[in-house]
Amino acid sequence: MNNAAYIQLFKLAGPEMLIALAALAVLLVDLTLMRGAPVRARRVIAVLLTGVGGFAAALYLLQVPLRAVSWGGLWAVDPLTQLVKLGLVGLAVLTAVLSLEADYTDHVGEHFALLLLATVGLMVMAGAADLVLVFLGLELTGLSLYPLVALNKAGPRATEAALKYFFFGALAAAVTLFGFSFLYGLSGTTNLAGIAAALRGRGFDPLLALAVVFSLVGFGFKVAAVPFHLWAPDAYQGAPTPVAAFIASGSKLAGFFLLGRFVALALPESGDAGRAALFTPGWVPAVAVLALASMVLGNLAALAQRDLKRLLAYSAIAHAGYLLLAVLALNGAANRPAALAALVYYAGTYALAGLGAFAVAGHVERHAGAAALNHLTGLGRRAPWLAAGLAVFLLSLAGLPPLAGFPAKFYVFAAALNTPHAGAVSLGLVVVALLLSPVGFYYYLRVLKLAFVTESEKRPAGPDAPGNSPQGGENRFGVETAVALLAAAGVLGLGLFPQWLLGPLQAAVREAGG
Amino acid sequence: MNPGLEHYLVVSALLFCLGLVGVVLRRNLLVIYMSLELMLNAANLALVAASRFVGNLDGQVMVFFVVTVAAAEVAVGLALIVALYRRRQTAHVEDLTTLRL
Repeated sequence: MNNAAYIQLFKLAGPEMLIALAALAVLLVDLTLMRGAPVRARRVIAVLLTGVGGFAAALYLLQVPLRAVSWGGLWAVDPLTQLVKLGLVGLAVLTAVLSLEADYTDHVGEHFALLLLATVGLMVMAGAADLVLVFLGLELTGLSLYPLVALNKAGPRATEAALKYFFFGALAAAVTLFGFSFLYGLSGTTNLAGIAAALRGRGFDPLLALAVVFSLVGFGFKVAAVPFHLWAPDAYQGAPTPVAAFIASGSKLAGFFLLGRFVALALPESGDAGRAALFTPGWVPAVAVLALASMVLGNLAALAQRDLKRLLAYSAIAHAGYLLLAVLALNGAANRPAALAALVYYAGTYALAGLGAFAVAGHVERHAGAAALNHLTGLGRRAPWLAAGLAVFLLSLAGLPPLAGFPAKFYVFAAALNTPHAGAVSLGLVVVALLLSPVGFYYYLRVLKLAFVTESEKRPAGPDAPGNSPQGGENRFGVETAVALLAAAGVLGLGLFPQWLLGPLQAAVREAGG
Repeated sequence: MNPGLEHYLVVSALLFCLGLVGVVLRRNLLVIYMSLELMLNAANLALVAASRFVGNLDGQVMVFFVVTVAAAEVAVGLALIVALYRRRQTAHVEDLTTLRL
């Protein structure tokens, strides 16, 4: 490696470095200039710095290179990764704005610096083209998010949620690393494309199947697919709501993009299609099982939830199942560009709707002390804009036509049905997904019924009774309302005009060479 | 007899299984954490052995990164365990039951 190569690396990794610099700047300013200032002012300054860093990174990302470049086979930069990173930066900035109301901690600098470092980790995940960087991206994200979950130290559940998240994450990382070590041993390289080349034409090999299944564990954890989902409801409920919103949106988007690239780059279908095509790479049956289990368990468990954040967690698990259908569709080479575009479109619109729904949950939690479902009663009257946003998000998650969830589901199912060689499996999974849709409708509409139809049965007397005292302040147009309206506009716009996002995505996939 | 790659891989798999059993069966968070480190080191052993027998250094380079990440993980994990202990005076998994379905 000469100096010119390192200068090129600096250019290619510019956006990540800008975000990392912003993280350091937030930490430094908070510790020096803002020492002793009121917490509110420190938060405003931190959000401003985050916004500046995000804006600079976004500008950098918009200079999309015309064709795919890779640095030493480690670091891929192409229009598709730039688009995904742009989405991740946007989600991080929205999360930072939500954190303006983060009155649960005095550690302002640490909060925003960890958020930005997690964003860097997600961006590394999006650009990784080598097992080393895949592992480092997963771990950088995880190690930044665990302390964020625990940040509400006074809260009764935060530490426990963070510990569960941490232990499941560390276990998944260890299993994935073990799988990676076997993949490396079998192929002799850590480069994803090199692994594919070395494994091509190899028949069914128990060691290879073990390596592949172990490797998938870490991704399954990141995207909260059953049976690696156990952390998700606890972490979502115990974490501060902006952090939960970021885990549900950014971590999901980057996790699925990385999983899609991993299976498409490193584990392609074998040369002789048809004969045992289902088993040669080994990942297709594993992902099919994950998809089926996630869809069934996520949807059914969501029915029993009494807390909005837990319900959103189980709905996230169900959506992970739908997204795994798109991952499954990456199996056939001819189908791959359409499936990749559908995957990113679904993950992106899901992230937007999930972030918005968590913004509403954060508002409810701040005013009622918890985000239990019965605290939603009368939200339609108390905070009409927020309630309207919640309706848009939940109906989009349910997949109702004018909203972004519908084209997303449509393209994913279409891609799954077009998969060659796995017709019966894909067809069966799509049928299961369609059968489970009414279940999803039921629990989303139950929430909306509470928010709009049910009257609050008793109005506690006295201004400081829980649920009543904040009434005066609840109508105020806060940051949660602003973020929710922005996300709702995005969900509605992308639902009415899916080509706005899908068009650039398809072009990017084509330029990136599928 | 010279040990071959499969010997190293068997040792590594044994270490990995020991770590996994520790994670599943032990009740103290610190011991669970040590078992997790054992699993990471099992993967490290497999990487170094594979690197030796494949004939390139990619695996050994990866081990350096893994060791660094493991050190960072210690910092985060112990901090979380300390935070739990300060709040609840416990470091056992039976007491992590506030959050339930």
